Amino acid sequence: MILHRLLIAVIRLGIAAAFLILLVEVGYVLLGGADRHVWDLSSYRDHSAGAEIVVTGWGDKWKSASTHTLLVLALAYGGALLVGYIWGVLAARWRRMGGKYLLSAIFSAFAAVPPFWFAIAVAIFSYFSWQRPGFADDWVVDQGPDVLSWWNAAVVALPAMAAATGWQIRAVAEVLEKEAGLPYVRGLFYSGYSDENIFYGNVFRRSLPDLVALIDSTLPFLLGCIIYVEWAFRYAGIGRLFVEGVRQGIYEDILMGGVWMAIVVCIARFCREVIAGLLKKS
Amino acid sequence: MGNRRKSKSELWANQALAKLWQLRFVLFLASLYLLLAGWLFSGAHNVGVRPSDVYTVSEIPAWKAPDAEHWFGTTGTGLDLFRLSWVGMATSFSVAAVAAALGIGLAHLLVALFVFDPGEKRFRLLNSACRSVGILPAMAVLIVLAGGSGGKQEVVIIVLAFLVCLHLAPVIANWFREGEEGFDVLAAYALGLSRLEIVRGRVSRKVIRRYPGIFAALVPSLMLVETALSFLGMGGDRITCGSLIAYGQGLIIEAPWMALYPGIMASVVVLAFSLLGWLVNRAVRAEQIVRFL
Repeated sequence: MILHRLLIAVIRLGIAAAFLILLVEVGYVLLGGADRHVWDLSSYRDHSAGAEIVVTGWGDKWKSASTHTLLVLALAYGGALLVGYIWGVLAARWRRMGGKYLLSAIFSAFAAVPPFWFAIAVAIFSYFSWQRPGFADDWVVDQGPDVLSWWNAAVVALPAMAAATGWQIRAVAEVLEKEAGLPYVRGLFYSGYSDENIFYGNVFRRSLPDLVALIDSTLPFLLGCIIYVEWAFRYAGIGRLFVEGVRQGIYEDILMGGVWMAIVVCIARFCREVIAGLLKKS
Repeated sequence: MGNRRKSKSELWANQALAKLWQLRFVLFLASLYLLLAGWLFSGAHNVGVRPSDVYTVSEIPAWKAPDAEHWFGTTGTGLDLFRLSWVGMATSFSVAAVAAALGIGLAHLLVALFVFDPGEKRFRLLNSACRSVGILPAMAVLIVLAGGSGGKQEVVIIVLAFLVCLHLAPVIANWFREGEEGFDVLAAYALGLSRLEIVRGRVSRKVIRRYPGIFAALVPSLMLVETALSFLGMGGDRITCGSLIAYGQGLIIEAPWMALYPGIMASVVVLAFSLLGWLVNRAVRAEQIVRFL
């Protein structure tokens, strides 16, 4: 089963890469009127002069950007999953009091704030209240524990996480509420089972495959959000490279950035499918 | 006099009044939504400024910090930032509204291609295709196309509409599937109505009634996307809150209000539209439940 899923994931990645190439061609040549086709090698940067130096720098740049963005993603995605699932279950328990809306309200309100503006507002606050550089590229820690890189990653991750968490809470609660609305739940209640026993012993257990299906649903949104928050906060991640690539028409940066995001989504989807398959078996 | 049969127009008026009464919550919330949109557009006309005028900073800048006269302060050329933010949000709203309407229409047409197929798995192809496109983040797709085309407004609207269509089509397909499982539909089959008649006359109408709610809930999200796109410099030659924030980002030491206040305006307006959109969407659904019962 795992090999079968892996093959599907590779095919999906191939489709995404082909779609990306098509997008670049349509965006730049058809709509933008550029004369550099995406399949033409001369459209890419000229590495002939000092090829070794350029290629080494290019690889290092992508490695460093990947590390930075993975840290942001770990914070945002991990936070959204952790808070989303725990609060979602709690919201379903409080379904008679509108727990779904109550618990997700604060995240939904935060989601109305433009994420890129939030990052800039943090930088302004940092300049004027803490009297220290605000944007991610202003200051580098060269000795001692690098707490600053965690702070920078948290600022980029927070606005993306807030919106994803709100969505995750509602989605988890909806799955559980749907299951709790089935006739067998009423039957169990009339048979004398306690509310808690019915919820955790039956409703939650039976909804597990549907809950697992929600694991990767916020990931494309998170990645899309991180792209422009990184740009706004001048955070040296994949998103910033991607946006700079688009602004300057550097095809290799656009393709690498797009494929990097597609790989992350494909891995998450593959994990979800494998876990769902194992749950189905058990 | 007491037993007089009511005339046709009288009956029609009664029915219309009853319908309006039934829709009172939806109408009230929708009118609030439209009032807010109207307020946005009331400040958008005759501003007479080109984006190049806004973003020019002279050697001796004419900016002013926020005061009683200029709530959000002024730009480097002395233009009122509140007014510009107001115009910016109206621009974002108009782009979002057109894209949302087009996207919903396209999604309906796309689902309509599959809905009359009697097979159990009729939406499978549609769902798989839409899921496959979702591997690439929608924002990345939008940035590539808008950035590549130089931020042309029509390109932004069309791409947004297509993205809305791809994300909404599986949801609409699900509504059609659920709609065909209702007791009233089973009764219609028992009465001998054809599938075409049932889908067209009963299920489609139920689904279409949900669209105003979806539109109201979609617009604030698309406004945020449009603002983000302008912030990245891919929103074309338009004044929006995103481009104003991007302009202010370069001056956060000298004039921090230029990046701060347009963002507050955008947050408040989007929050208000989100809240009203959510309420309209809920009211539309609740009205459907009442009708069904």
